Amino acid sequence: MKKILTLLLSAGLVATATQAVSSPKEDLEKFRMYYEQRFPGIQLDDFGNGPYALDASKRLQWESMEEFPPYEDYIDKGSEIWETPFKNGKSFASCFGKDPSKVRVKYPHWDKASSQVVTLEGDINKCLKDNGEKPFGWKKGKIAHLGAFLGYEARGQKINVVIPDDPKALEAYEEGKHFYYAKRGQLNLACADCHIQYPGHRVRGQLLSTGLGQTTHFPVFRAKWSKAAANSDGMGTLHRRYGGCNKQVRARPFKAQSRQYRNLEFFHTYMSNGLAINAPGYRE
Amino acid sequence: MTKLTKRLGPTATALALCIGLVLSAQASAADLEAGKKIAFDRSKGNCLTCHHIEGGTLPGNIGPPLVAMKSRFPDKAKLRAQIWDATAINPHSIMPPLGRHRILSEKEVDLVTDYIYSL
Amino acid sequence: MKKLITAFGLALLITGCNATTPEKPASMKAQYEVALKNAQAAVEKAAAVDGEWRDIRWKKSKKRYLPSAIKAAEAGDYKKALKLLEIATFQAEAGYKQAMEQKNAGPRF
Repeated sequence: MKKILTLLLSAGLVATATQAVSSPKEDLEKFRMYYEQRFPGIQLDDFGNGPYALDASKRLQWESMEEFPPYEDYIDKGSEIWETPFKNGKSFASCFGKDPSKVRVKYPHWDKASSQVVTLEGDINKCLKDNGEKPFGWKKGKIAHLGAFLGYEARGQKINVVIPDDPKALEAYEEGKHFYYAKRGQLNLACADCHIQYPGHRVRGQLLSTGLGQTTHFPVFRAKWSKAAANSDGMGTLHRRYGGCNKQVRARPFKAQSRQYRNLEFFHTYMSNGLAINAPGYRE
Repeated sequence: MTKLTKRLGPTATALALCIGLVLSAQASAADLEAGKKIAFDRSKGNCLTCHHIEGGTLPGNIGPPLVAMKSRFPDKAKLRAQIWDATAINPHSIMPPLGRHRILSEKEVDLVTDYIYSL
Repeated sequence: MKKLITAFGLALLITGCNATTPEKPASMKAQYEVALKNAQAAVEKAAAVDGEWRDIRWKKSKKRYLPSAIKAAEAGDYKKALKLLEIATFQAEAGYKQAMEQKNAGPRF
């Protein structure tokens, strides 16, 4: 009986909470203002540089590394993938348009027809399948190389995710938002715990980045990944990173491109609207 | 010890705890060493991720440095409760509930408490 | 003091019982089967609210308590299987509870 009561009560709470929910625009304003007040003097775009925006000595190391960035080869590989025709003679341009610099900024977006969030990776593999090609793996390798090229081509353009006034799109946005703030896993940690409460603090030797600007530099070259395994070249997608975070808090990660991660990407990227794309990035 | 407790069942555990309480008023050097090991172990307490502890390398700075614990926690039970579940006092606490989520066993929480209390 | 003696006596009694009548394999198996059903139900319940933890059954976990329990039972080690199921069930229930507690999690700065 007590259980039923609790259930009813929580169901009621959810209903009231949904009614009182803030709009994406209000969420974005509060989110950005929080970081601007906490880190005065940091330029908006600089938040896209994560920990390097927050710590002078880490920034120096990073800047010298950026002179010969380890992701450069993968941009070239991505360019090759973009140019190479499929067996049917078409190429990625047949799906994305001829100008590779105009692709990245369209993602993620809400697709009304399928009622879901569509990501760049999702459309890359859709393009392959539609043309009778074998899809890429979701988290690393070719998908990340092509993403790195498309990101590089789009550098400097502003993130501009649109949350349409469609109940289903808002629902997806709300699910992503909830994901960011909900504690999960045996370690009981939310994304927000580290990246809203403690950016600029250190977890062991690692400096925590701000939630603002977290998605602008993906796909990313991570030194940690480059050392992880023989088949890992260091490049990885945003969903690869999500999975790694969830694993670290001892939650079962969701699959790359799962509804959960796509919706998280929707919210997460929207929070960085107005920041410049700076992909591919380098991180420790 | 753990095996024995299992076999004896909860009654004996209670008894063991009673005896333990009397004996553990002053934790032994071996216990403190065991507690330190758990506190430093990345897959166990992993306290250094967030806290500075003397003798620990590469500590994080999310939580306060673990120093002068006796003055900060005159009541050792409160320190243990904080380690067992920091979210009981602050639901938003970033500190993992080491006991409540069984990241550590009860015995391990005891050992870590003794060690941290000695700092 | 009187309580202490009673407790001590009871403990001896329990140990004694354990020593003289070890549980029969058949009853361990039955116990395991019930525990497995419970664990599986708890895990599904946690998964349904996106609250499943890493080490219950995820393929890349090093612990994988649930599949490891099944493996132990297949090898006839029901004692180990029950122990692992207890952990799996605890984690599943805790993950479910956590997801419920976090149901209304939202922006906090």
